[in-house]
Amino acid sequence: MFKYTVKRLLQSVLTVLIIVTIVFLCMRALPTDFFFTEDQMMKLDDQQKEDILAKAGLLDPIPTQLFRYYGQILSGDFGTSRRIQNGTSVLEIIGGKFTISMRLGLSSMAISLTLGILLGVLQARQKDRLMDHVGTVYTVFVNSVPPLVSYSLVLVFGSRVLGLPSLYSNKNIGMSSILPVVCLALTSIAHYALWTRRYMVDESTKDYIKLARIKGMSTQSIMVKHILKNAFVPLVQYIPASIILTFGGTLLVERFFSVPGMGTLMVDAIQRYDTEVVQTCVMIYAFLGIIGVFLGDLAMTLFDPRIKLAGGGETR
Amino acid sequence: MKRKGTRILAFLLVAMMVLTACGGGNNQKNNTPGDNSTAGNDSTPSDTTEPTAPSNGGEPIKDLVTWETAGNREMENFFMIGTEQAKDLNVLCNAISPLLEVDPHGVLQPAVATKWNTPDGGVTWDFVLRDDVTWVDVKGEYKADCTAQDWVTAMEWILNYHKNASQNTSMLCAMVVGAQDYYDYTKGLDEATALALTTENNPEFDKVGIKSADATHLTYTCAQPCPYFDTLCISAALYPVSQAEIDEKGVENMLGMTNETMWYSGPYTITEYIMNNTKTLTKNESYWDKDASLFDTVTITMIEDVNMDDTLYETEEVHNTELSEANSKIIMDNPSDPRNEYLTETRLKKYSYQYQLNFDRRNADGTPDTNWNTAVANENFRKSLYYGINLKTTWARTNRVHPVDLENLCFSMKGLLYFSDGRDYTDAVIEKLDEIKAYDGENSRRFNEKLALEYRDKAIEELTAQGVTFPIEVNAWIKAGSDYAGPTVLKENWEGTLGTDYIVYKINEYVTSPNSEVVDPHLQSYYGSGWGADYGDVENFLDQIVIGRDYAYYANKYTNINELPEGSETRKLFEEFTAKVDEAKAITDDLDARYEKFAEAEAFLLNHALSIPSTYENAWQLTHINDYSKMNALYGCQNYTYKNWETSTEAYTADDYAQFKADFEANQ
Repeated sequence: MFKYTVKRLLQSVLTVLIIVTIVFLCMRALPTDFFFTEDQMMKLDDQQKEDILAKAGLLDPIPTQLFRYYGQILSGDFGTSRRIQNGTSVLEIIGGKFTISMRLGLSSMAISLTLGILLGVLQARQKDRLMDHVGTVYTVFVNSVPPLVSYSLVLVFGSRVLGLPSLYSNKNIGMSSILPVVCLALTSIAHYALWTRRYMVDESTKDYIKLARIKGMSTQSIMVKHILKNAFVPLVQYIPASIILTFGGTLLVERFFSVPGMGTLMVDAIQRYDTEVVQTCVMIYAFLGIIGVFLGDLAMTLFDPRIKLAGGGETR
Repeated sequence: MKRKGTRILAFLLVAMMVLTACGGGNNQKNNTPGDNSTAGNDSTPSDTTEPTAPSNGGEPIKDLVTWETAGNREMENFFMIGTEQAKDLNVLCNAISPLLEVDPHGVLQPAVATKWNTPDGGVTWDFVLRDDVTWVDVKGEYKADCTAQDWVTAMEWILNYHKNASQNTSMLCAMVVGAQDYYDYTKGLDEATALALTTENNPEFDKVGIKSADATHLTYTCAQPCPYFDTLCISAALYPVSQAEIDEKGVENMLGMTNETMWYSGPYTITEYIMNNTKTLTKNESYWDKDASLFDTVTITMIEDVNMDDTLYETEEVHNTELSEANSKIIMDNPSDPRNEYLTETRLKKYSYQYQLNFDRRNADGTPDTNWNTAVANENFRKSLYYGINLKTTWARTNRVHPVDLENLCFSMKGLLYFSDGRDYTDAVIEKLDEIKAYDGENSRRFNEKLALEYRDKAIEELTAQGVTFPIEVNAWIKAGSDYAGPTVLKENWEGTLGTDYIVYKINEYVTSPNSEVVDPHLQSYYGSGWGADYGDVENFLDQIVIGRDYAYYANKYTNINELPEGSETRKLFEEFTAKVDEAKAITDDLDARYEKFAEAEAFLLNHALSIPSTYENAWQLTHINDYSKMNALYGCQNYTYKNWETSTEAYTADDYAQFKADFEANQ
């Protein structure tokens, strides 16, 4: 286990390094126009622009820039923002946003897991009956309607009928978080319900379930001890990643409700050619993704003793 | 098992509720006292002058809530003299006090400077300053007095290459004596030496034309007579910064100042800043203008979509909304919609838009597009385009009721300048334009199909002889994925009037950068551009399209007139135009004569169809704010100063606005 963990961590560092390098090179391939504001484009002459680019080190050879960047990262210097918030440390900008995205993301995950799995269980138990059909209609609706349409419906209903705040506000975090959290949870609930139902229905047709019934186990007991537990194994792999990736925020919901989280940061930074912010965001996203997958693997071993990560027995 | 399951479920639900409701982040400590995110709620009364009671039966709003779009209007800088972007200055103009302000008519008014004059026709400008202006921190605690020296310090900062990365530099270098030399001097220094410079013991800076005799007397010296120099006080280039603030933060940290670390001398402090979400401005109790009517708080909510403000207005979460094309159509097409009674028109925004013709178009492979270049050099061809486009449908997209009010006939902006008899400068230009019809409120004054077709026929004859093949391709460019409606309207319009056997309007897409993908390789046939003045003189507009000058942005970037062959007809026209502009600029002792000469130059430019004016901007709105009470200059950065605004808890009706407009025009 220890050996496996160390190996995975080393692989992760290498993966992050490759991703960061690719993003760094992509950013340098963009036209340097983006380095300047529209006003600067109009008012600065070519020499002034070149001087500014040179001062920022953007006219140095790419390998020089790249190794300078590696050096900065190793010394813990992620640089300062130039356009998102001029002169402010990138980590300072990300810090505040990270907390907000995490809070909303974890809230929606808690709702999604609870309601999604509950709905899936109910659907599986009442297969081909009313509850199953209701759940299927919900799942199909959420997955087939474009997110912006469903968000708009939630917004109109929430703000006009229930009187909830339309936009996220720091002055009223609890109430103003409700609509974004509901929107974030909408799709996830459908996702968890769909897969819980599917895995439970699959499990319920297996021979060991028939044997349990023949042995006289109650339906309730079979459902909880055998079907749900085994159906949960394939799902559990993705839960840590889903939780961790909530820290990164979601672009659409955050934009829609003006949530000042992580989701919009990277897009804004790319649009404004704020290279330091883009690179740091990518590094964080890559790191979170890798950790999420790793934790998913660990979680599976906890739920299914047949799975071993390394050494003897079955391996993955 | 059942109990265990219930416990797990209960735990998850509690966790969910706690996560949803808990916390507040670091920004919570900045919340305004007595704040409320919902529009329409009044907090405690103000100590300063009470606003006049609105005429529509409502109460003045104490806590204003307005909005901006997050995508392109979010602040990036808090250091006022370190930015030229409207998105920053629209907020920062509330935080720092300027020498002069403007009133709703755009007339300069005393602010920190109580008196100002030029004893020698625009070379020397003396300002007498108030002695009761102070710098405070975000909590309103006293930091220092604001004195004339702060404007000197700001000038040194702006002109110091290593401190300022050339922000706000260009106008000062062009106007103030010694400014360019000091900029060049600092550029030659190493960074550490330049950053250590201040106004003290700095013989090179002593040569720059700015001096403070004492705390209340400030003098600028221009390189040549600048009769409009006082209008520069409205721009960020002439705002102050305290040396004590620089000393406190350190030179290297000035650019990265935040709302919490910056110093304030304006009507508000920015007590809350949450990127892409909210900015809250709170009345500065130490503000020097005790007669000003201020809000207790102003909350600027950032929205993603331009339609969101309509929704927020409906749910009473903001006090104003600019209606989208679709929503204004929904309301106007339904006479029984109660909102019709409240539909009002915003004032014109400060930008004058034109189509700048490209006289050196290239093909994608870099070779000259001889067909287009020959055609655009032909005056009859240009005039066929000039008279042949009816932009009424374009204007109707934003103003369905009065589309022709958006017709722009000039290169400069209506309302920028007035003659001493009160006549608008652009009226003097229009009087000199050929074939412009009288305003009838229904039709474009310039569009003239008959005339356009006559010019087309002449152009076909002349250009065919020069080997031009028809139809001539007009290449327009838009960003990939953006709305095709605008260019499609133009295509239908131009082709509809002139015929597809004469021109073919081709809509191309660029991916990311219009500059590097379109403008730099000269791929456009024309470029739609809007210019808002930096200061109150027409030269700021016309200088953009003169020939042979480095500072002429349009000429160097969009029209490429410097590439025209020596001795060619079109080049001669631009040279003549440039000479007329220079002639006007040389008149500094008689503003009426100066403006008259500028008007002649501008009319010359347009009568030869060297540029095609297109539109002004405004919108339809639902609002609790009287736009005619706002500061309104068609240059500079003060129009978003939330000072002396007339507002009402009851939404203003169209009748109210008609009265505001009538009163405003009567006092013009």
